[in-house]
Amino acid sequence: MHGATWVEQVFNLACGLLLLTAVGALWRRETSALIPILAVQGGALTVIAVLLASGHADGTEAMVVAAVVGLLKVVIIPLLLRRVRRLVRNARETRPLVNVATSLLAAAGLCLLAYAAARPLVAVAETPTARATPVGLSLVLIGFFLAATRHRAISQIVGLLLIDNGIAATAFLATDGVPLIVELGVCADLVLAVLVLQVLTARMVHTFGDGDLDDLRELHD
Amino acid sequence: MNLALSDPVAGALLGPVAAPVAGALLAAALPRRVAAWTSLLAALGVLAAGLALATRTGQGATIADGLLRADALTAWLVVAVGAVATVACWAGVHHLADQARRGELTPGAARRYLVLVQAFLACMTVAVMAANVGLFWVAVEATTIVTAFLVGHQRTRASVEAAWKYVVLCSIGVGIALLGTICVYAAAIAAGPTPADGFEALNWAYLNEHATQFDPGLMRLAAGLVLLGFGAKAGLVPMHAWLPDAHSQAPAPVSALMSGVLLSVAFYGILRYKSIIDAALGPAYVRTLLLIAGLASLALAAALLIGQRDYKRLLAYSSIEHMGLIALGTAVGTRLALAAVLLHILGHGLAKAVAFCGAGHILHLVGSPRIAAVRGALTRAPATAGLFGLAVVALLGLPPFALFASEITLARAGFAAGLGAVVAAAFLLVLVAFAAIARHAAGLLLGPAPASEPTSPSALASPTERTSTSDSSTSVPSSAPEQPERAPRLGLRWLPLALGLVAAAGLGVWLGPVQPLLDCAALIAAEGIQ
Amino acid sequence: MTVLVALGQAVLLAVLAPYVLGITRAVRARLEGRAGRRLGQPWRDLRKLLRKPPTSPSDASLFFVAAPPVLMATSLLVAIAAPFVATTSLAGEADLIIVVGLLLLGTVALALAGLDTGTAFGGMGASREMMIAALVEPTLLLSVFALSVRVGSTDLATIVTAGATDPASVFTPASALAAAALAIVTLAECGRVPVDNPSTHLELTMVHEAMVLEYSGRDLALVEWASALRLTILLGLLANLFAPWGVATELTPAALAVGTAAFVAKVGGLAAVLAAGEVFAAKLRLFRVPELLAGSFALALLAVLAAAVLG
Repeated sequence: MHGATWVEQVFNLACGLLLLTAVGALWRRETSALIPILAVQGGALTVIAVLLASGHADGTEAMVVAAVVGLLKVVIIPLLLRRVRRLVRNARETRPLVNVATSLLAAAGLCLLAYAAARPLVAVAETPTARATPVGLSLVLIGFFLAATRHRAISQIVGLLLIDNGIAATAFLATDGVPLIVELGVCADLVLAVLVLQVLTARMVHTFGDGDLDDLRELHD
Repeated sequence: MNLALSDPVAGALLGPVAAPVAGALLAAALPRRVAAWTSLLAALGVLAAGLALATRTGQGATIADGLLRADALTAWLVVAVGAVATVACWAGVHHLADQARRGELTPGAARRYLVLVQAFLACMTVAVMAANVGLFWVAVEATTIVTAFLVGHQRTRASVEAAWKYVVLCSIGVGIALLGTICVYAAAIAAGPTPADGFEALNWAYLNEHATQFDPGLMRLAAGLVLLGFGAKAGLVPMHAWLPDAHSQAPAPVSALMSGVLLSVAFYGILRYKSIIDAALGPAYVRTLLLIAGLASLALAAALLIGQRDYKRLLAYSSIEHMGLIALGTAVGTRLALAAVLLHILGHGLAKAVAFCGAGHILHLVGSPRIAAVRGALTRAPATAGLFGLAVVALLGLPPFALFASEITLARAGFAAGLGAVVAAAFLLVLVAFAAIARHAAGLLLGPAPASEPTSPSALASPTERTSTSDSSTSVPSSAPEQPERAPRLGLRWLPLALGLVAAAGLGVWLGPVQPLLDCAALIAAEGIQ
Repeated sequence: MTVLVALGQAVLLAVLAPYVLGITRAVRARLEGRAGRRLGQPWRDLRKLLRKPPTSPSDASLFFVAAPPVLMATSLLVAIAAPFVATTSLAGEADLIIVVGLLLLGTVALALAGLDTGTAFGGMGASREMMIAALVEPTLLLSVFALSVRVGSTDLATIVTAGATDPASVFTPASALAAAALAIVTLAECGRVPVDNPSTHLELTMVHEAMVLEYSGRDLALVEWASALRLTILLGLLANLFAPWGVATELTPAALAVGTAAFVAKVGGLAAVLAAGEVFAAKLRLFRVPELLAGSFALALLAVLAAAVLG
């Protein structure tokens, strides 16, 4: 640690920022605050990808991956989310399934769970950044928690995006990034999924009058 | 045993993918009536290409070219996809015609429906024929996106709800599967000699070859994630909640496709992964997980089938029940069990497709999805309701249909492998489900038609049905003059359903030419790619 | 020598504490456009109060009488032991857990005194204070624990020395998260905005003031002094753990002088920042306070995780 290069320091700061934004997504009640949080998280992920690419001997493919990830998560996805936000202005989480204080404590617990669950990954992976894999897994768990306990449509979309950010982070940290083709496929799928959800939110607002998922109560046994 | 690359090989591999892609392009360009029939042609193309693949790989050969590969298991799945797609697309022609006649179909909606169905088929064939796990994952995720608008085809409150739940739950499930894939990738690049291109480390063949060197702890984590993720797509408990809603709100041919094709291909993924994980961990781990998932799915389906009030949801829960049985068979893991599983996949696909399409016709007839609103369907529309009834008989596992043969074989294999108690418990649950489905279907089909309209096949004019349902797909101000039109068209509508049932019965009685294909496919499923 | 240094440190803090309070009030007044009181006003208030005899409610018992001395004593003990001016301490070890335990002892003593008065406001203040303390104490422990993970010891002096000798180790995510958590803890523990308004006159919004409503004379002087002392202690810990430059690592007069000056400057600066923040923030409604504290707990736990994982 002493004499840690600036690369390592920036990398550590980016990982810390990932964790902080994940907790921040659970903390704020206004759904409009989730979009800048997600953009910052995308930026931190891009920084990690760029740092990893710069460490490769032949890093062109990895740089392309980093560029695609950056473009997607910092530019395109927040743009799409802003279109969703325009449909449901001033949406606030007024009745989450688990209240904010308890969900913050639960997030802390989930981070510990991620640390325990990631031990086999950390033990096996040979990359120098493998130690930080629990960060990615905790992002996945927190995204899962967000999608499960919030009653606003845009919160579930953000939860889904958090899960995907966590998976991307795990891929970068544990395996030095999945191959380019797979990454492109994953990104394309993500963009399309968010587009589909945006259209569905528009239909939901049109049919139910609000982007509130508690209105979806008709189909049950 | 790889054949040298040659043009016929590439053609055979691209056939199942090219047919639906061409169908989609044509559907976008042609007018509705012609496009509907070309979609049937595309489905037949997939079936034909699947049979061609079967002839090439039926004796255990493997053909591969770049991103696609095919062995006996692939061929079996492609044939299954093609068969179900044929029935569904043919019935889809009639479905669209019915909707158009009722004035509910805009040209844009029809085009979107046809293009999306073909895109769905293309994604499914790519997934089945993918040589690379990453490509498989991308294709499976793409199907969620493609079918989202098919599920939400009608713009009602219930279908928006169903589409939302479907997209969110399936995306989360597939995301978990991606995490599992990444864990497998990490194990792969940490274990064996690193391939020149990281992409190759994700090939099914590479993974099967080096699986014994993977780290067991990491593979346990990966196995749990992969089973949970692809199990969500296959409708296994605990992430099954999207299934009843999506199947009840989607148009009937789409429900047929989802039950017959989507669930089967998701399970194909589980089968492929199983051989890799078993090589790394030994068979006990995945067996336990699949037993738990299978029994839980059976229990849930049996419990919720008893009080069902909607016949499309009834069929959806029956899908969950059959997926539970398939999971059980996979858990047993012997060659015999896996042969039964593969036959079950094909038989279930065909029977469910016929059942859903028949249910779709009943829905057009009666206008209400509630079981209580449908009485004496057999007297009202003997051909369609009769075929629906036969499909339900097939789903109940009665002879001579293929599901009877596969369930008996499954039981035999289970007892032979020493899992007798589990199999007995499972079949007890199947019995409960049998009773529930039989009771509901009997109430639906048998008996006299309701007195208010003794001969008219339509309840569109009766307001009581409409106000008692939450499904407003039939809220069309139609009037009596439409009814006489229905009878003459009935002649062709039963044909796809009858063909599907004949195929299911034929397979149940005599496997004949497909026997060696089934044997090879079961061997590959049991022991992995050699 | 260490004895002298430790006692001198305690005297310094005791003298400095009312001035810290004065700084916060002066900065707040200036930002609000008022002239404000002079910096030494809290000392004059204390002198005035010390001359007056205390009274106590007729129903009060031992707890009410004992709380002010206990509070003052625990605060002075922490001032003696923890590394503020110099990192060599009297007891040889200024263990984190002991320090937190002493602070908690003071909190509990005051809460019991609030209950002991038998009035409604005392009980209300005490229950609110314990609700806040329940979330604050674990956060305090965890956030400093995050720093100790890297150093390998829970001794505060060791942590500060490690930080002083390797300044770059301060700029890690674990540090940043722990600093954020500790800042929120300071606000909560000392009853500042946004958790509690120290200058409120409305009993229904009080937390700390409600507990000490019945105190007067010498007892009130001790309680006010001890509260100011605790604020100085927490600000000093915040300064020395996350900006440890200038702390005396050996006991030479020059180092001690530099250490004293650095400490006074840092604490004064932090007090000014605190006051500025108070002007721009609003007090949270009471049911929102657990959210803030749970968030700081989550940050502290993340800091520990980051220290273990990211190093």
